[in-house]
Amino acid sequence: MTFDFLDSFLITGLFSVVMVTGLALLLHLQLGLTRIANFGVVGFWGIGMYVFGVLYVKVDWSFGDPYQFLVCAAIATIASGLAGLLVGWLIADLDTDGVLVVTLGFATAVQLVATAQDDITGGARGMGGLDFPFDIGKVKDNELLWLGFTMAVVAGILFYVWRVHRSPYGRHLIAVGANERLARSLGKSTSRTKLWLFVIASAAMGLLGAMNGVMVRFLDIGNLGIDITLAAMAGLILGGTARVWGAVVGVFLTVGVFDIVIQSYLPLPREWYTQAIPVMREAIFGLTLIIVLLFRPYGILGDMRRDSLMRKIHGR
Amino acid sequence: MVADTVSAVAPARPQIRIQGVVKSYAGRVVVNIDDTVLGASPIEGLIGPNGAGKTTLMRLIMHSTALDRGTISLLPPTGGEVVLSSQSSNRMAHHGVVKSNQVIMDFDRLTVLDSLLLAAAEGTYEQPHRIFSEKTVYRRHKDEIRHYLDFFGFADPTAFALSAGEKKLLDIVRCLLLKPTFLLLDEPTAGLPEDLTDKVMVVVRELAAAGTSVVIVEHDLNVIWNLCDEVLFMAEGSVILRGDPQSIRSHRTVVEKYLGEGHV
Ligand SMILES: Nc1ncnc2c1ncn2[C@@H]1O[C@H](COP(=O)(O)OP(=O)(O)OP(=O)(O)O)[C@@H](O)[C@H]1O
Ligand SMILES: [Mg+2]
Repeated sequence: MTFDFLDSFLITGLFSVVMVTGLALLLHLQLGLTRIANFGVVGFWGIGMYVFGVLYVKVDWSFGDPYQFLVCAAIATIASGLAGLLVGWLIADLDTDGVLVVTLGFATAVQLVATAQDDITGGARGMGGLDFPFDIGKVKDNELLWLGFTMAVVAGILFYVWRVHRSPYGRHLIAVGANERLARSLGKSTSRTKLWLFVIASAAMGLLGAMNGVMVRFLDIGNLGIDITLAAMAGLILGGTARVWGAVVGVFLTVGVFDIVIQSYLPLPREWYTQAIPVMREAIFGLTLIIVLLFRPYGILGDMRRDSLMRKIHGR
Repeated sequence: MVADTVSAVAPARPQIRIQGVVKSYAGRVVVNIDDTVLGASPIEGLIGPNGAGKTTLMRLIMHSTALDRGTISLLPPTGGEVVLSSQSSNRMAHHGVVKSNQVIMDFDRLTVLDSLLLAAAEGTYEQPHRIFSEKTVYRRHKDEIRHYLDFFGFADPTAFALSAGEKKLLDIVRCLLLKPTFLLLDEPTAGLPEDLTDKVMVVVRELAAAGTSVVIVEHDLNVIWNLCDEVLFMAEGSVILRGDPQSIRSHRTVVEKYLGEGHV
């Protein structure tokens, strides 16, 4: 019994590590390469989760799973991508402060809308009725399989990011981040670049949101707070904003250590889990963020090394 | 017959026409040009005292600074007219209008090779889904990049440009890789050693001979007198004189306002 309880915790813990790693990798493209601080991660992720959940539960589909999942997740992904188009368009010509305000404001708006439209979203009561697109037996088995699918998606994102560093697109993103004016004078349409970057990253964030909806099987507006954004930011910045593996290392050390090691293996009083632990988590992540930014702004792995990368790809 | 008339009217090389252009900062007029055409001669020098508005004029042409008033258009040798001042700054390179920077501009995280591949790469290869196109871009451009690297003697292209001179040179090579038809050089040789200055001049001459219009701002007047086919003298925001190097060099106004007595 006790063992079962821990095990389910472990799966959820691993799932959040994998999912936040995915978000942090996408954020890396924006913050690490293009130097756009997107503080609205939870907004895109939340749109994905809610659009998916509402479509899945409320619409009377004429076909069942897995098609029902695939169709709902595809629409959710597109919806988040469109949100990315809107936000990307709004921030294309803004400076850092403007981007901060718009992305934070966007995330807040998503939470407000989800709360206010409670006849559709369940609002503060939440909404159940979501389920795995398959059933292979026990809940734990289903969860484990879903963890596997999510890992595959995040591995795909990791591979994409890794390739971006080795492609003209990545160089273009770095150039936009380093000196937008100069990039424009070289004929680069930097506004369009930012727009598409937001569309793609937001769509992928939305897909991860939908996949999270499946895992938790319950929509809760409590999830639309700052937690997810903070976790992705803290992880990415601790690991190294500019490095491919920064997100992986950092999220493992923040979300991994906290959600798996501390929550599952430390003998904490049970009544802490609802109130104290989430607060502690945010405080620790926030503190991590501050300490890293003060003492090692490029994180554990340090800044990108284009010189060794170029040597590796093209020789001397 | 008709074609003959058109080609007789159209300029042989691209020109830039500046009409009624005004730019002021904090109420002070910095550029005020009534009607001037650049690019009639292969290489034109733009000279004038500090603060005359030379850099600002070039920025206005590139539309990296907004005009208060007026129109700037490109007259391609093939005829027609492209209004540059109504397009965004990233379009200029597509029209072949390219500028090097007086103040050092660089991408701090990119190596020399990165910077040059960036300048050379076509937009299609830089799209988000083209994550396997690095080899293609490299193959397409490695020869021209190698040519310039060797010509200017960059030691290790996979390293970062460190010195001011190296960055300045890199800025110029980036411009060259854009294959300009109208090249604006804002003090290209400031901070460069003499041998490199000479090499830049060799390249500029080659470009001009091949049909590119070049406008060059320089305080090193030996460069201007040796290189230019025509010289424009700018003061207080306006082009007040233009002519061949000899006549400008000995003109009273230029001597008084800029060169100082005894220079000639
Ligand atoms: N962004 C700006 N804001 C305010 N004033 C500016 C700005 N840019 C240029 N100026 C002013 O406009 C005037 C013209 O400057 P500009 O740089 O065009 O001169 P210049 O002819 O290139 O001079 P130099 O030979 O020193 O390079 C100067 O008085 C300068 O102080
Ligand atoms: Mg100047």
